[in-house]
Amino acid sequence: MAKVLEGPGMGLLRKWGISTPNYVVVTSNEEFEELSKVNDWFKKSKLVVKAHEALGSRFKLGLVKVGLDLAAAKSAVKEMLGKQLESITIREVIVSEAIDHKEEYYASVKSTREGVDVMVTTYGGVEVESNWEKVKKLAVEIGESPTDAQLATLSKDAGFSGDTAKKIAEFLKKLYTCFDNEDAQYLEINPVVQNHSGDLVALDAVTLLDGDAKFRHKDWAFPFAAEFGRAYTTNEEEVMAVDAKVKGSVKLIEIPGGNIAMLPAGGGASVYYSDAVVARGGKLANYAEYSGDPPDWAVEVLTDKVCSLPNIKHIIVGGAIANFTDVKKTFGGIINAFGEDLGAAWRSQ
Amino acid sequence: MSILATKDTYVVIQGGLAGVNAARRMAEFCYMNKQPLNVSAFVYPPDAGKTNDVVCGTELVPIPIYKTVADATANHPEINTSLVYIGANRAYQGTMEALDDPKIQTVSMITEGVPEKDAKLLGKHARKLGKTFNGPSSIGVVSAGECRLGVIGGAFDNLVACKLYRPGSFGVITKSGGLSNEIIWICSQFADGITTAIGIGGDAYPGTDYVSYLEMFENDPQTKAVVLVGEMGGDLEEGAAEWYGAKKRRIKLLAVVSGFCQESLPKGMKFGHAGAKEGLKGEGSARSKAEALKKSGANVPETFGALGPAIKATYEELLKSGAVKAIPDLAPVDMPRLPKTVAEAKKDGEVLVAPLIRSTICDDRGDEPLYQGYPASELINAGYDIPHVIGLLWDNRLVSKQEAEIIKRIIMLSADHGPCVSGALTTVIAACAGIGLSQAVAAGMIMIGPRFGGAVTDAGRWFKYAIDNKLTVDDFLVYMKKNVGPVPGIGHRVKSLRNPDKRVKELVRHVKSLGMKTPHLDFALEVEKITAAKKDNLILNVDGTMAAVLVDIGFPVDSLNGFFVLARTIGMIGHWTDQKRQGSRLIRLFDYLVNYASPKRREVPKLK
Repeated sequence: MAKVLEGPGMGLLRKWGISTPNYVVVTSNEEFEELSKVNDWFKKSKLVVKAHEALGSRFKLGLVKVGLDLAAAKSAVKEMLGKQLESITIREVIVSEAIDHKEEYYASVKSTREGVDVMVTTYGGVEVESNWEKVKKLAVEIGESPTDAQLATLSKDAGFSGDTAKKIAEFLKKLYTCFDNEDAQYLEINPVVQNHSGDLVALDAVTLLDGDAKFRHKDWAFPFAAEFGRAYTTNEEEVMAVDAKVKGSVKLIEIPGGNIAMLPAGGGASVYYSDAVVARGGKLANYAEYSGDPPDWAVEVLTDKVCSLPNIKHIIVGGAIANFTDVKKTFGGIINAFGEDLGAAWRSQ
Repeated sequence: MSILATKDTYVVIQGGLAGVNAARRMAEFCYMNKQPLNVSAFVYPPDAGKTNDVVCGTELVPIPIYKTVADATANHPEINTSLVYIGANRAYQGTMEALDDPKIQTVSMITEGVPEKDAKLLGKHARKLGKTFNGPSSIGVVSAGECRLGVIGGAFDNLVACKLYRPGSFGVITKSGGLSNEIIWICSQFADGITTAIGIGGDAYPGTDYVSYLEMFENDPQTKAVVLVGEMGGDLEEGAAEWYGAKKRRIKLLAVVSGFCQESLPKGMKFGHAGAKEGLKGEGSARSKAEALKKSGANVPETFGALGPAIKATYEELLKSGAVKAIPDLAPVDMPRLPKTVAEAKKDGEVLVAPLIRSTICDDRGDEPLYQGYPASELINAGYDIPHVIGLLWDNRLVSKQEAEIIKRIIMLSADHGPCVSGALTTVIAACAGIGLSQAVAAGMIMIGPRFGGAVTDAGRWFKYAIDNKLTVDDFLVYMKKNVGPVPGIGHRVKSLRNPDKRVKELVRHVKSLGMKTPHLDFALEVEKITAAKKDNLILNVDGTMAAVLVDIGFPVDSLNGFFVLARTIGMIGHWTDQKRQGSRLIRLFDYLVNYASPKRREVPKLK
């Protein structure tokens, strides 16, 4: 799965005919300044300013500001850009137009084993968590599309009526089309709201795409974001860059605060190794994995990164019986890196 | 008995190099079981019409390559299974092609990174046709003693160690390729081994779920228990639990699930395989899966490490109940073995091979070449130079500093002699004709012979003959006139006593200044005195001087032309790159440079 940030996520919705508020993603105060001059809505509407990074709980961190006029938005952008939160620097801010609305709805499309589930409820916004049982679901088999009649029924079942029911059905149709055509795995719009002319607008989007399908989406020009509530670290990005280049795979995720570093082989075995550490009360400093007969230099890069983790006491190297990985070669990569890194550590002592 | 892959499985492999490697591994398995190769054909459009030669025991078996699956099954009607080794961006079409072929019942896909939507569509299509689509990302399927699909099981030694040459009593289903191998091994060490092991692939939505395979195992009397290795994410383990708990099953189920570490990690952190992701509402966690399996009556050890003992306990119960009988181990001599390659047998000291060639100068088998035993890099670091390498490789010895200096000067003096001489001119003509460096230089090199540059060896030979036989200069000249002809190394086309060759003068001056003994050079200079007195241009030329000096410092006569060849190579490469740099065009002689001495135009007589 590959998470896409709000800006490009909204872009994909618009591509398939779903209305979103006007928005821009800016990386500097000058850019904000320029855009505010040429876009009328900056002056006409209230504005929302949010940090455009893969961060959880942005509200709590003060990284979402609503109901701003142009001047307030300008200072919010200034305040957020460049702000440092642990290892993350805020590099982008999304500025969007506030939409006056009364009701908030919820809509999502999710991949399942059989196909997709289309879900909708009138209990949108923060209410959806506590009203999960009110969410109505339509299961669509893979290779099929939901019919207009099915969506109309779904919308009525969820408690929509009259013109709104019709609009919701149309909205869900577009959302499904977007999901299907963009190789999405999860699309969640919360809230969906009605603007003053009664049209449905997607105010916020969670977008997870199938990274494996990138080869057939030349317009996916945006980077994928980390899915675990923080941006990727430099080490992780460097390992990802190697992973993208080589046969087989090398993976690294840092876990701050741990002291046992992991360097196992195999997508399956690596998790059992991690489980074994946790079961014995250990604190993992990272997750790592190499598999599929990667070149020795790629394993060497991964080992270097693992060795560079702060405060580690142990490094666990392991794996299962290889099917086709040349273990002599991959261990060569580990030994080379250990030679250099441990050598450097000894010399510095 | 076994499931999915049996004695009657015949395979077409779709894909290129990775598929050929899989075929090689499958051939090892067939050889271990004394079966013919079960790979009948490849489908790989770029190589259609050719064959892939697969090593099978001591033979190379040519396996035909076709453009389409239909071509393959038409020519090999026994095919009933396809292995997909096609890249992720083309795997969908290739797999559809296989599924749609009426002869094919099972398709197993090793390709990783296949879009989820494609995998789901393939799974649905297979179910609709009543066929099995295993994968994506599947390491393969292996049935002990019967059939291997893909590289599952690893290297040959591991196949034997895991007793895959005969069936045991345990079925294995895993998402992970590496762990499938590990579990097969555990089953062979803690119990009597496996019937069939299946890698279903680690993707979120594999084409076939655990339940389909559990049903098959339930219907296979040889299989007494099944080991299921699950992962967090998705709902396949829950499905398996539901199936197992639904009614009394003949097979015993052992299961482990990975991903407990997730509980102590930041939410949403994704580990391991693509499918290993907890749901948004906490469903699919390792704990909930393990609980579901436990509740269904499956044996769920707390850790992976406890799986081996659990398998052992299950096996002992089966033994006790009489459901299985212990299988005696093979005696070491009866263990299957792959034929050794010559290199392996040689290493083990089991075979003597008569060498084809003998080399006394250089050994390249280590991490760098050894010249006469000296590592090249160490020679460099110790300050040795190109002339020393020449000494080592041409005369099996390290030359002295003084000798090295002479060799260096000889090479510098004869590196080039302008574009007009035979060798350079030929290289230039070739370069202008667009010929590549090595061929153009080789063309120039062909000119080196008795009349151009190639007299060094002969000059050396006869000067040495004179000294060895203590001939006087007069006796020598008489001998040469009578038996050989003009003295090699004497005479020059343009140089003469009045127009001396400065290269010769310089070389003689240097060598004489060293105070070393130079009997051959001295003799050659004496010869020159007599011959040049007879005719002005019968001087000691550069070939003759080099020859005399090199024989004086001990180089073997046969190596002497090499000094000219080596030196002039520098010049010829220069001429070639010079022409190339200038973008020179094709040249030809002007008519007026040819004396056309052939008969004038005339009538062609009638053919008789």
